[in-house]
Amino acid sequence: MHIPDGYLGPQTYAVLDAAIIPLWAVAGAKVKKTLKAKQVPLLALGAAFSFVIMMFNVPVVGGSTGHAVGATLIAILLGPWAAAIAVSIALVIQALVFGDGGITAIGANCLNMAIIMPFVGFYIYRLVSGDSPSTIRRSVAAGIGSYVGIVVAAIAAGIEFGIQPLIAHTASGHALYAPYPLSVAVPTMALEHLAFFGPIEAVITMGIIAVLAKQDSRLLQMKPAAKPLRWLWAGFGVLVLLTPIGVLAPGTAWGEWGAEQLRTTLGYVPAGLEKLGGAWTSAMPGYAPAFIRDPLVGYLVAAVVGSALVVGIAWLLGRVLARKEEPPATPPSGTT
Amino acid sequence: MIPAVAHIGDAAPRRRAGARSVARRTADAIAGAVGEVLENDRLASLPGLMQRLDPRMKAVSIVLLAVVTSFVHSIPMLLVLVVATMLLAAASHVSVGSFARKVWASAGFFGVLLSAPAATAWITPGPVVVALGPLSITAPGLLVAGRLILRVAAGAGFGLLVVWTTRWSDLLRALGAMGVPDLVVATLAMTQKQIMSLLRTVENMHLARESRMLSAGSARENRGWVVERMAFVARRSMKTADDVYDAMLARGFTGAMPSLVDLRASDRDWLWLAATVVACTFVLLIDRMVFPL
Repeated sequence: MHIPDGYLGPQTYAVLDAAIIPLWAVAGAKVKKTLKAKQVPLLALGAAFSFVIMMFNVPVVGGSTGHAVGATLIAILLGPWAAAIAVSIALVIQALVFGDGGITAIGANCLNMAIIMPFVGFYIYRLVSGDSPSTIRRSVAAGIGSYVGIVVAAIAAGIEFGIQPLIAHTASGHALYAPYPLSVAVPTMALEHLAFFGPIEAVITMGIIAVLAKQDSRLLQMKPAAKPLRWLWAGFGVLVLLTPIGVLAPGTAWGEWGAEQLRTTLGYVPAGLEKLGGAWTSAMPGYAPAFIRDPLVGYLVAAVVGSALVVGIAWLLGRVLARKEEPPATPPSGTT
Repeated sequence: MIPAVAHIGDAAPRRRAGARSVARRTADAIAGAVGEVLENDRLASLPGLMQRLDPRMKAVSIVLLAVVTSFVHSIPMLLVLVVATMLLAAASHVSVGSFARKVWASAGFFGVLLSAPAATAWITPGPVVVALGPLSITAPGLLVAGRLILRVAAGAGFGLLVVWTTRWSDLLRALGAMGVPDLVVATLAMTQKQIMSLLRTVENMHLARESRMLSAGSARENRGWVVERMAFVARRSMKTADDVYDAMLARGFTGAMPSLVDLRASDRDWLWLAATVVACTFVLLIDRMVFPL
């Protein structure tokens, strides 16, 4: 996910480089308040850990290996603001000492991997784990948080790539920087992280949290996070309200073509697809309940229903996992 | 008794002759990274053109060149910039062969890989140069891909020049002199030291596992071990942070960071900066006036 120089045009990297500076300033102020003078060694070690964790080869399948980023894990250990600084420092050192990631793209890389990834991962971890002391619930929460965190960060990188042909092109419309449109860049980045890097990140984060909970649970004490859930819910509400914007986008997302579109594009519909295409009729086909005529209202209703289902399932899952590992009601007898 | 860790189960995959285990591969990668840092230090101490420059002037000029590279759109001018990175490497007593290998093996290779589909009619329609059905290579596609590859190579080259010709301590001094807060500079300095220390620890634990194992082990088994070791490194990092902080307090740390700034730019440094600004202006003017899009 490290973006090198040359893929993003000046209009993009200048904005992202400028945007990351106030974010670092806010993170610095927050960290100063919570960590006081201890911040230098703690941030340095957090950054060093962030760097080193990326060096571990994790066996996957068939002899292949991948590596984790660890941003959510660091956010759980140090808090999200400290993680933002620690991962940023690791990324700056990777760019300046090892030449990994571009100089002009430092803002974009830090935004994706040091801001979006730890914050999304941490708040989902908080949401799913609640204040439960249950190791299983915390591990699962960390796994879900890290998975969603890395996928959202990858989508952000995909958007940064995908807007390049729109904002920087020749008079004949040919791209001057990253050449792939949003319809290619976003699904490509999302799919490889949904299917490959996301599961690695989730398994590693879950495993480490489980081991730490057994060996040194003090490290997993909840870090101050400045009324996290209130902000999370506010952001979530804004996103739900913004969903009708999706109706304005023309065409269909790449790879999500229906039978009719395939017939128009290819001139035929693959037999298997034609056979199975209508096997399941969803409750809200096309993200709109059948009884609502206005597509904008329909999209908004679908967003509310879908979000409520996801939040409800996550809440129920959390309740079930917490119940599985409730502490015994009375201490064991015979001990002094 | 054979320790459990060294026991070869019937179902355990045997190590193929010549195949490296995950532990060996990780240890080699870490040794490579440590070796790279040591080699960077050696190159940065050579008496070359870039090494003699004031680190602030060098940082500003390289950032300027990287920014100008992102504004250049014509293939000939991007080629000029790629050649310029190699000339600067040669003037800095860096082997041009290793420099080119390093640039093309990382950024260049991925640039080619990622831009290849952009050369086809699927992404960039236009007059076909090589007919391959829906994946025919088009003339504008080749331009788009060529532009991307050359820009990535030039950008990576300028970045590598900083990495190979500047000591980390000099870079930190330059950052401090350019207004980066002392706290950030101190954290960066401490981070680099701790990275080297943690890398050595991680390398040793992988080598120890490699020497104990008689079979490659299953992916699941290796994954469990890796997770357990990562948790160990996390605990070790937190413990070391406490120890370092205690050591800082014992030495009278009051919260103020010592400033590392004692740099003075010479006439030669100012001349270099002026030359870079003039060269960048010429490159942009030629790109816009001689090779308009």
